[in-house]
Amino acid sequence: MGWLLASPYLVYSAVFFLIPLFWALYLAFTNWNLISPEYETVGMQNFIDAFFSPSVRAAFWVTYKFMLMFVPIVIAGSLFLALILHHLPRWKGLFAVGYFLPYLASGVASSIVVKGVISYNSPLNQFLRDAFGWDIDWLGSPILAPLVIALMMAWKFVGYYALLFLSGLESIPKEVYEAAEIDGAVGWKRVWHVTIPMLYPSFYTVTILAVGLMFGIFTEPYVLTGGGPEYATHTWQLEIYNQAFEKLNAGYGTAVAIINSIVTFASIFVFRKVLEKWGGKHGWE
Amino acid sequence: MAGSKTWKVGLLYVLAFAVLAVMVFPYLYMVLGSLAPWDEVDRKLIPSSLTLRSYEWLFQGGEDVVPRPWLRAFFNSLLVTSASTLLMLVTAVMVGYALSKVKFKGRQWVNNAILFQMFYPSIILLIPLFLIVRYFGWYNTYWAMILPKAVNLWAIFMYTNFFRGIPDELIEAAKMDGAGHFTIIRRIVWPMSRSITTIIFLFLFMERWVELLWDMLVVNNEKMLTLNVLLAQMFGPYGGYPGPMYAASVLLTLPILILFLLFSRNFKEGMQFILK
Repeated sequence: MGWLLASPYLVYSAVFFLIPLFWALYLAFTNWNLISPEYETVGMQNFIDAFFSPSVRAAFWVTYKFMLMFVPIVIAGSLFLALILHHLPRWKGLFAVGYFLPYLASGVASSIVVKGVISYNSPLNQFLRDAFGWDIDWLGSPILAPLVIALMMAWKFVGYYALLFLSGLESIPKEVYEAAEIDGAVGWKRVWHVTIPMLYPSFYTVTILAVGLMFGIFTEPYVLTGGGPEYATHTWQLEIYNQAFEKLNAGYGTAVAIINSIVTFASIFVFRKVLEKWGGKHGWE
Repeated sequence: MAGSKTWKVGLLYVLAFAVLAVMVFPYLYMVLGSLAPWDEVDRKLIPSSLTLRSYEWLFQGGEDVVPRPWLRAFFNSLLVTSASTLLMLVTAVMVGYALSKVKFKGRQWVNNAILFQMFYPSIILLIPLFLIVRYFGWYNTYWAMILPKAVNLWAIFMYTNFFRGIPDELIEAAKMDGAGHFTIIRRIVWPMSRSITTIIFLFLFMERWVELLWDMLVVNNEKMLTLNVLLAQMFGPYGGYPGPMYAASVLLTLPILILFLLFSRNFKEGMQFILK
């Protein structure tokens, strides 16, 4: 009976997980173009090509560039929001719901809004021109374009991550604060020496989630920049999509996807180790 | 002392409202953009008057522009998302129940397999999944958008954890009365999990609704596109018509917002379980 009840999962995983998984491991070593009935195995050629490909290398570095922008912004932002929510005497739930609203937005819709907000004649750009004489080509700059996308994503996720920090804050026992007060830790000192160390588990979770997210960016650059300018927002997913479905290099695209997974696994593993070591050094759990 | 306290609380609320304004601003901008006269879209923050022209254009087309099937796309989205979400919920409850309340050989093995799959990067599967769907003849059908998204590992994981908290005695007592597993699920387990179900439903629905990559791959017939995909593909050629693009964005965003606000009463308690 247990097997019967679990069967939806088992059937689904066989068809939509195991078969594609083995198929992928085979495809990555072929030169198949998604259409022709004939193709041959090419050994490691796809992986070698990928290693020397400028667009794959771009995707590799762009991901870390996004991380460098997104992770600090989203952590500082969500911690700030959580602290506000935590100290509100009333309407905490109401504000939490409000802060969560951006998470509901489709990346497509928010990209359209952002494109409007930074378009040449937009109120924002008019203001910057009139007040400072700045004429900014937001999506034409290799630094501003990824920053715009990182900010969009921070807007979307900050309310969600704030809830994680909030549940961390709420789990800190009152006695800890009282003990700290006796030791003379008040105000910002208290935040720094008591709250933040006690929040380490939430901090850890949010960081890993935020880092993992950077390997799956697709919608925003697809709609907003197409990966440009000059590969400045060219993500892994965009590269895989372009290779497999625009250029029809199914075999090569699969190889890139495999490399992407290995890089993702390795990066997250390293981040976890670094965070654990850093937390351990300060005696945080 | 009391004075400084009120002052601080006041400041806190000012901050709280300022943050709220930032969070809501893009939505407001979208709605105002969809209602503004066309020569004021993206030029004025607050339009001098309101008009429905963008919505009319969206559904009827302009003088030299063919109308696109926006309404049809909206219903495609609704159909695909509802079917897919419903299947994900039903299967998650069934499997979660099996993995927490039914003892069978290999249960631990299935639990481990789910955990492993959850952390497996799904991008590897993208291309072969597309090939499987094409092989089954599902290309350009609703099946392609529903069936590969009919089971959700995260939902199974959540229900398994939640059901573990339901006392075994309750299930045993029902069995004594001759109830089968399906009756137990329907009569006991399902009603008990209402608060977590609303949150899981919300997350599944939302994520399915804004899916872009997959829905874009398996459908290219304009009549079958979901609203999210249609909007993403039309934004390029129709970038010169920002008003209607905002109107379509409103159409895309509204259902999720309404759904969320309807369910938000259970939001905080449900989230507390999800985030544990």
